[in-house]
Amino acid sequence: MVSFFKQKRQGKQQDRKKEEEKQSKTTDYIESSLSDNMEIVKRKTGNSPDIIFRTVKISQNPEINTTIVYVQGLIDNPSVTDFLIESMMKNPHLSEKILPQKALDIISEDVVSLGGVETVNDWEKLFLMLLSGDSIIFVDGINKALVASTKGGDRRSIQEPSTHLTVRGSREGFTESIETNIAMLRRIINTPDLWIESMKIGTVTKTDVSIMYINGIAKKEIIEEIKKRLQRINIDSILESGYIEQLIEDQVMTPFPTMNHTERPDMVAGNLLEGRIAVFVNGTPFVLLAPALFVQFFQSVEDYYNRFDIASATRFLRIIVFIISIVGPALYVAATTFHQEMIPTKLLVIVAAQRETVPLPAVIEALLMEITFEILREASLRMPKAVGGTMSIVGALVIGQAAVQAGIVSPAMVIIVSITAIASFATPSYSIAISARLVRFAFIICAGVIGFYGMILAFIVLVVHLCSLRSFGVPYMSPLAPLNPQGLGDTFFRRPMWAFKERPKLISSKGNLKREGENQRPLPPESRGMKTSDGRKGDGNES
Amino acid sequence: MEMNHKKLVLLLMLIGTTFTTGCWDKTELNEMSIVSAVGIDKNKDGKLVGTFQIINPVNVAGSLQGGGGTNPPISIYRATGDNVLQLDSIASAKISRDMYFAHANLVVIGEDVAKDIGINSILDAFERSPEFRATTRLVIARGVKAKDLVETLTAIDKVSAEKVIKTIESTEKQQGGSISINLQEVIKNLVSSGKEPLISGFTVRGDTGKENKMENTQSSSIAANPNAVGIGVFKDGKLIDWLDGKQAVGTMWVLDRIVNTNVTIDWGGKKGAVTYQVLRQKTNIKPRMKNGKPKMYITVRAEGDIREVNVPLDLASPHELIDIEKELAKNLKKEMEEAIAIAQNNKSDVFGFGELIHESHPEYWKKHEKDWDDVTFPKLETEVKVETFIRRSGLRNKPFLSDIKKGDQ
Repeated sequence: MVSFFKQKRQGKQQDRKKEEEKQSKTTDYIESSLSDNMEIVKRKTGNSPDIIFRTVKISQNPEINTTIVYVQGLIDNPSVTDFLIESMMKNPHLSEKILPQKALDIISEDVVSLGGVETVNDWEKLFLMLLSGDSIIFVDGINKALVASTKGGDRRSIQEPSTHLTVRGSREGFTESIETNIAMLRRIINTPDLWIESMKIGTVTKTDVSIMYINGIAKKEIIEEIKKRLQRINIDSILESGYIEQLIEDQVMTPFPTMNHTERPDMVAGNLLEGRIAVFVNGTPFVLLAPALFVQFFQSVEDYYNRFDIASATRFLRIIVFIISIVGPALYVAATTFHQEMIPTKLLVIVAAQRETVPLPAVIEALLMEITFEILREASLRMPKAVGGTMSIVGALVIGQAAVQAGIVSPAMVIIVSITAIASFATPSYSIAISARLVRFAFIICAGVIGFYGMILAFIVLVVHLCSLRSFGVPYMSPLAPLNPQGLGDTFFRRPMWAFKERPKLISSKGNLKREGENQRPLPPESRGMKTSDGRKGDGNES
Repeated sequence: MEMNHKKLVLLLMLIGTTFTTGCWDKTELNEMSIVSAVGIDKNKDGKLVGTFQIINPVNVAGSLQGGGGTNPPISIYRATGDNVLQLDSIASAKISRDMYFAHANLVVIGEDVAKDIGINSILDAFERSPEFRATTRLVIARGVKAKDLVETLTAIDKVSAEKVIKTIESTEKQQGGSISINLQEVIKNLVSSGKEPLISGFTVRGDTGKENKMENTQSSSIAANPNAVGIGVFKDGKLIDWLDGKQAVGTMWVLDRIVNTNVTIDWGGKKGAVTYQVLRQKTNIKPRMKNGKPKMYITVRAEGDIREVNVPLDLASPHELIDIEKELAKNLKKEMEEAIAIAQNNKSDVFGFGELIHESHPEYWKKHEKDWDDVTFPKLETEVKVETFIRRSGLRNKPFLSDIKKGDQ
């Protein structure tokens, strides 16, 4: 038996080797005949009509055929027509007699007035460039091709992001184009230390993926780790940054996100400056940030734009809101079915009166209402905008009014579910809000089975799980566990801007923690009388 | 393999322990009946009669289903038995749901039960039950059966148990004529040899035939209304006397339980001419040994305002104020001395003087603990010292009465 498997495995390995050989054989080089080359391009692209061939004759006696190939829609039209086709046709250098061997050099040096020009001789690279928007110039009789950078085409313009909205702060949001996105960061952080490394992931889609970090601030080990994990990916397609996130996160079996994502360039900039690493993926406005910590999901960029007292208060609120969104209905279920003695008599009487006609146990009622709410939420997310109004009316009337009046659901439960629903939307990060929704159901079930005791058990399991998580090797609950007193200044409480002395220890590079100089605390003017009552500049001795 | 096996067993044991405790008593709110008050009476054969007041939540919460007002907010179930638990089990045979006692905030004990059987044999069941609260209030039904009090329908606070508790609390706070005391405190006092419990009395006054009919509350003048009346004095767990009016207030002064009371004195030959409202007060009791015998030194310091003056009087004059203060102190001293005299007469140390002596002179206490209530306490010497201070005189100094007199002249 054993030997049989071994043979099979060996067989597989042999197959793989053969495939690899085949692949290396197929890396063909460009032919010298123009018509052959055109034939190959047409065959490889299945004669797709959006691939345009434009033949231009150059030189005299004999005339040399050249063909410009590009993909319609991917190119920048003015560059191709003005700087490529027109120059090729009208350039005086090309109307003289030239040798075919020198044609490519002349075209690249004297004719094409575009930024990036490159000679290529293998088909794989050529196709990659052609299909990403470059134009290729073939010259008859030469087994090389000239690639001119003409990337362009229609793209969504920069708009306000639709997630992570803020009152104060930049209105720019990322777009689907990776070049635009990277440029937006370059505009914010003007240092040569802003390093970018690119790669193509996806055997079919060949999606552009770039990692960005600030050299000297980001930890080398984390950069290496991310690169290693990205290089490991072997998948046919990457359609969104979520693909990458799921393929490189530390732990799979957890409802909590271990990578952050955002549409906001200022948020990425803030994270880069703390030593985090951004992963840009072409085709999505969502940029990944790693490592991500639990407390980060309760922080909004606006916290840093507002004054520290206000920012700290809102962060406290978000934590309370998160706890409500996890334990809200569970608390109600446990208190009304197990611990009635803990409810003040008057409140108990009111709740009991409402539950008098309700036919279902409180747990089932809670689960039903929660599921109903999830259905409403999901439906209103996916449905065409025109029907949105209908949905909210039906939801409000049927659940809020009719179900209560019919005595199927108690009004108290509707209140609890509504508060929880609002609470789950008040968390700034959508990804942690989704996790809270999942965890909430577990809490309701625990509370329904063994009351507060079950809730405490569930809570212990939750805390242990959170503490066991890592994001690219960094403990998920830091700086709370392991405790880092210095780092606590930017968790649920945000220290004043003038007291932000250091970058987070576990994330930033060790040698470069210093963030601001000494004595940054603003002070009132030394002279109490900047201006005297009659408008003169005071000398400080008025008092 | 061996190690893994051991670890697995250990893990299972650990998981198992989490399920050995917990809250298995799952009850839906519409499967329980919330008991708000329990009344204990005695019938002719000497058996206990229990009255259970159960809340009808729908009729209390009312407005939602529109049912309030027409149906009674409480239902009454009765049972007869030899002990308290028997009452419970007999009554539950009449109710479709589990009786839930965690919100029974009131226990009413009939006067005859308190006098003849005593409370010692009744309270154990309440104290032992995990559902019953230690903070459940106790009252004695004075002049009526406990059942009458429990059955009564009341107007503003729809559940009469709540009305009774609130009335006692406000009477204690505003007059000092009642004492709001709970199960825990009563049992503590019963156990202590140096202190006897005091429990407030409550009665139903008015048209007592109607108290359990809805019409009782359908008139602006309520036909039968529960009233707080006096404080019951206990000795060896049995009710022996009632303190009313000034006796009750005097006792509360000594107990340092006065919060806010009015003291009225005669002035210028007119009865009840000046009313003084106490805002802050402190009673200190210190036992001292004198010639081998303890003597209690009771010092009272009271601060308050003048709230009513019905005779012409110049309150701006410090001499007048000092005179009033002295008169007030004299009045208070008399009230307290009378209260102490009554307690000594009853041979019941309701003030806890015994406990104080136990704390300060343990050797003396050991000798006299056994005969404290009957021999030593009645002969105990006391000295009451009262200081009163008038802090304010309301919105004016001289009463407008003095101005009228001037105009007449």
